[in-house]
Amino acid sequence: MAKLKLGVYWAATCGGCDVSILDTHERVLEIVEAADIHFWPCATDFKVKDVEAMDDGFLDVTLFNGAIRNSENEHMARLLRRKTKVMVAYGSCSAFGGIPSLANFTTREAILKKAYETTDSTVNPEGVRPQTSTEVEEGNLTLPRFYDHVYKLSDIVPVEYIIPGCPPPSDLLMTAVEAIVSGNLPPPGSTIAGKKTLCDECPLEKSDHPKISTFKRRFEVIPDGKTCFLEQGLVCMGPATRSGCGNACINANMPCRGCFGPAEGVKDQGAKMLSALASIVEFDDEDQARDLLAELADPAGTFYRFGASDGLLSPKYKQGSEEEAKAEGAKVS
Amino acid sequence: MYEPKIICFYCKWCTYTGADLAGTSRMKYVPNGVVIKAMCSSRVDPQHILDAFSKGADGVLIGGCHPGDCHYVTGNQLTYKRIEMLKRILPEFGVDPKRLRLEWISAAEGRKLVNVMNEFTDDLKELGPARQAVAEEV
Amino acid sequence: MSKRITIDPITRLEGHGKIEIFLDEEGNATNAYFQIPELRGFEQFCIGRPVEELPRITTRLCGV
Repeated sequence: MAKLKLGVYWAATCGGCDVSILDTHERVLEIVEAADIHFWPCATDFKVKDVEAMDDGFLDVTLFNGAIRNSENEHMARLLRRKTKVMVAYGSCSAFGGIPSLANFTTREAILKKAYETTDSTVNPEGVRPQTSTEVEEGNLTLPRFYDHVYKLSDIVPVEYIIPGCPPPSDLLMTAVEAIVSGNLPPPGSTIAGKKTLCDECPLEKSDHPKISTFKRRFEVIPDGKTCFLEQGLVCMGPATRSGCGNACINANMPCRGCFGPAEGVKDQGAKMLSALASIVEFDDEDQARDLLAELADPAGTFYRFGASDGLLSPKYKQGSEEEAKAEGAKVS
Repeated sequence: MYEPKIICFYCKWCTYTGADLAGTSRMKYVPNGVVIKAMCSSRVDPQHILDAFSKGADGVLIGGCHPGDCHYVTGNQLTYKRIEMLKRILPEFGVDPKRLRLEWISAAEGRKLVNVMNEFTDDLKELGPARQAVAEEV
Repeated sequence: MSKRITIDPITRLEGHGKIEIFLDEEGNATNAYFQIPELRGFEQFCIGRPVEELPRITTRLCGV
């Protein structure tokens, strides 16, 4: 069988998903046996112009990681979509927005101001900011436009498969590789992970009718390592998070933070989590309920930690709108 | 001319019956609500509410039984807790929490329903149309 | 003929980068520009998060 033509690319990323491919250890040899890599900036020297020169659909599979934060990310998503048969949103950032999607709870202006002007270690008295277009003596230099919001890959292009995780666990990647190589893939649109929630696979003991009467922050209590975190007053995203991660966090005595995204059939992970918490919070009267719920630290940042681009109220990408801004010659990035 | 669009989820046992009472009593009030009947206010998933806002609702009203009167005993308690938490989430996504209202309206309180709807519509007129979080702000 | 060589992207390291090299008529490099076309904004979006959550957020600055 001809070797698969593989592309791996990163948008607004940390590089962890690229490293996760190597985390398969000696099994990476199976990947290399099955596939030829035709684009992978982290590990190979192919350039964007090499991708542009490919025929459409040339690549069999592209593992695209990273969120869509700027015009270059969008451009590469569209370019690789054209050149690829099976596009995989690899990792939580491309699947749901990931940690970078927390930027959807602040603004572009606040980010640019903080990063380039007001951080303690920045010396920039003239308030110089990156520009999308700069004239220098020799010619014109360009930078991508930093978008107003963060999007997930499927907001920009159709995606055949999602492999969630921050990063995806190595055995999940190998399951996907085996499925691709054997041609035994689930229907397009599927998420390659479990179908239930983390609670289903969690080893901690859960009582039949859990009730919490107070929320604790993770530094206020040392979990006993045996009982469900929620029952100890610690918020855990388990009830609203897709299964299949192998419980790495739980096994390290840390509550889940939801990197596997919503369970099968759920549209808004944060909404589901808030519902789950509401079910187990106990109160005598409305005032007590209000006080108790007010103790919950940072609900939006907790319920949407990896998925602020994936909620029902997340910013909706409007085709061309961000690109139009660029075309209009937006000089300030 | 902006007319707020309000999606109303009414529990069948209390609020919906109260709305029927308002109707049969020929009470006049604003036509800004679109009513969806639910068996209990707690049938309303937070996703339904977020979906309504994402599709252009300017306001969402949940109507349920008074505490202690829920036909399913604890349903309205669940609703209360959900709405409290949802109100903390909404502003992070650019939706003013005043656009989400939970009211206890019994089957006998047709008048209360009318007053709530009129008042809510006025409040929403003042707040203006709900901004949609689409790509904008060039 | 003076020339411009664009290296896009820089590879085999973590991060995004682009290099523009300008040559004169003789083919000697006269100037080079190194640009970083990425920013995610951790400095700003970490504000408002509970401090004990930061170890699991800031570790996503770099996965290498």
